[in-house]
Amino acid sequence: MPSARVLVIEDDTAIRSVVRAAVEADGGRVFEAATAAAGLQLAAAERPDLIVLDLGLPDADGRDVCKRLRAQGPVPILVLSARQQDTEKATLLDSGADDYLTKPFSTLELRARLRAQVRRARMLRVTEQGAPLRAAGLTVDFELRSVRRNDQEIHLTPTEWTLLQALARDVGRTVTHDQLFARVWGREYGDAQKYLRVYIAQLRRKIEGDPLRPVLIVTEPGVGYRFCAPEP
Amino acid sequence: MGARSDGERRVVWQGILLGAGLLAATTALLVHFRDHLGAVHVALVYLLLVLLVSARFGRIPGMLLSALAFLVFNFYFIAPYRTLLIGNPADWLVLFAFLATGFTAAQLLYLARREAALREAARVKDEMLAAVSHDIRTPLTSIRAVAHEVAQDGDERGLAIEEETIRLTQFVEDLLDLSRLRAGGLAMAPAINTADDVVGAALQRIAGIAVGREIRAAVESEPLLAGRFDFTHTLRIVANLLENAVKYSPASSPIDFVVRRTGELVCFEVADRGPGLPAGQEDAVFSAFYRPPNTVPDRRSAGLGLALARGLAELQGGTLTYTPREGGGSRFTLRLPAVDLTREFEQAP
Repeated sequence: MPSARVLVIEDDTAIRSVVRAAVEADGGRVFEAATAAAGLQLAAAERPDLIVLDLGLPDADGRDVCKRLRAQGPVPILVLSARQQDTEKATLLDSGADDYLTKPFSTLELRARLRAQVRRARMLRVTEQGAPLRAAGLTVDFELRSVRRNDQEIHLTPTEWTLLQALARDVGRTVTHDQLFARVWGREYGDAQKYLRVYIAQLRRKIEGDPLRPVLIVTEPGVGYRFCAPEP
Repeated sequence: MGARSDGERRVVWQGILLGAGLLAATTALLVHFRDHLGAVHVALVYLLLVLLVSARFGRIPGMLLSALAFLVFNFYFIAPYRTLLIGNPADWLVLFAFLATGFTAAQLLYLARREAALREAARVKDEMLAAVSHDIRTPLTSIRAVAHEVAQDGDERGLAIEEETIRLTQFVEDLLDLSRLRAGGLAMAPAINTADDVVGAALQRIAGIAVGREIRAAVESEPLLAGRFDFTHTLRIVANLLENAVKYSPASSPIDFVVRRTGELVCFEVADRGPGLPAGQEDAVFSAFYRPPNTVPDRRSAGLGLALARGLAELQGGTLTYTPREGGGSRFTLRLPAVDLTREFEQAP
């Protein structure tokens, strides 16, 4: 994570230094804030590449802070929380967080997630310019609407393509079930759940090396799916 | 009845005195209108008194007041008056019906109050466990991180601390969920899910502890296997079965993880080549804090995992069972309601 600038908003001093150590181990730089107010101010002033936000701040509700940070710009937000209900994770992701880590997390996990978010932000800038997305032998070309695996064209149905696109456009980010329903089927489908499950299974069977050990479309239990670009 | 505290005894006495006072006052008033009142009217007014006293002061004052009211009733309102004799045999019925109703009401109110107190205690316990589970997480995160650093610096004790931290978290979480499960407070969201998805997520979840182990996963593929169940709970059950298989079977032996359809059920099977269970323990293994007989207590497990797993399976209308594996080892089978996707899926866009 060369020269990534990370803002940590967390009231617990010990956790702040844990995050600091993780960022610095990958060559990044850290700004620290102990309150939501200070965090929002620093985010506006320093324009960090990534924000690590604790949900249990003393001066504001985590979800509100998340929304206000999101309103400031597209910076990736990684949320830390001591609660682990699926519904809460989904709500946070729907309010603009990019990833979610439940305490107690491991240092390795934290570093991997931080790197993934920084990489994601960079990849997004590239794919916005129309360049194809490459991950684990798969090439997704959004312009040509084509998917290739090791130079073999993979045929996708229109729904499979829309679903893949909905996931791959947000590479590295967990897309919630609700977000996927809305992007692929629109809101009018009452029980889109079963369509989603079936199309995910079909898509995995077409693009994954081993559909029972998916590395591209990863399940976030009870929350959604994430398109992963495995670390090179 | 256990020993009573001074405070409880005082409440009982207050109830008796107040009840007697109310009874005297009411009786004085009612005697005045005796000619216009039937025995049943009086009985109803007295019952109201008994209920009030039972609700406020408990069972003992309520029952004593019933008995006292029974005598007063007989003395003042059952002819011949001012005697305990009973002229009309039908009045026996009124009197004893009154006594029985008074006693039953006092007893029911007592039970209702105790029930409410027990529910309140369960709620407080649940809230406390939830608060502990929540508050313990932040310090555990820093302990774990520091332990990790220590381990990286070459001190193996760091690794041990890190592992223990993970176990402690798991233990608190299991306790909390088991308590919620028993109190019926565990959220459940059954939905159509595929076996593929459960298998993929379970293998991913245990990847960390199954390093170097061969897990032979297979799902009957046509038609796409699906069921109606809660994804998170099912994942937890299956991951727990796989984790046990990894822990209790030789490192060189493969673990078989197969999902198949049997009638109206989806069956998730996890089979290992470990020692299996001693005969007669097939059900005991699913009780909380289970320890296999004649074994050294296992530091690695509190014995909550399978109890929780079975509870979660049953909550979703499924079952979790153990059978010895032919050729040695354990086979755990989770059965959940299956869904026919072809039927469910006819108008798929």
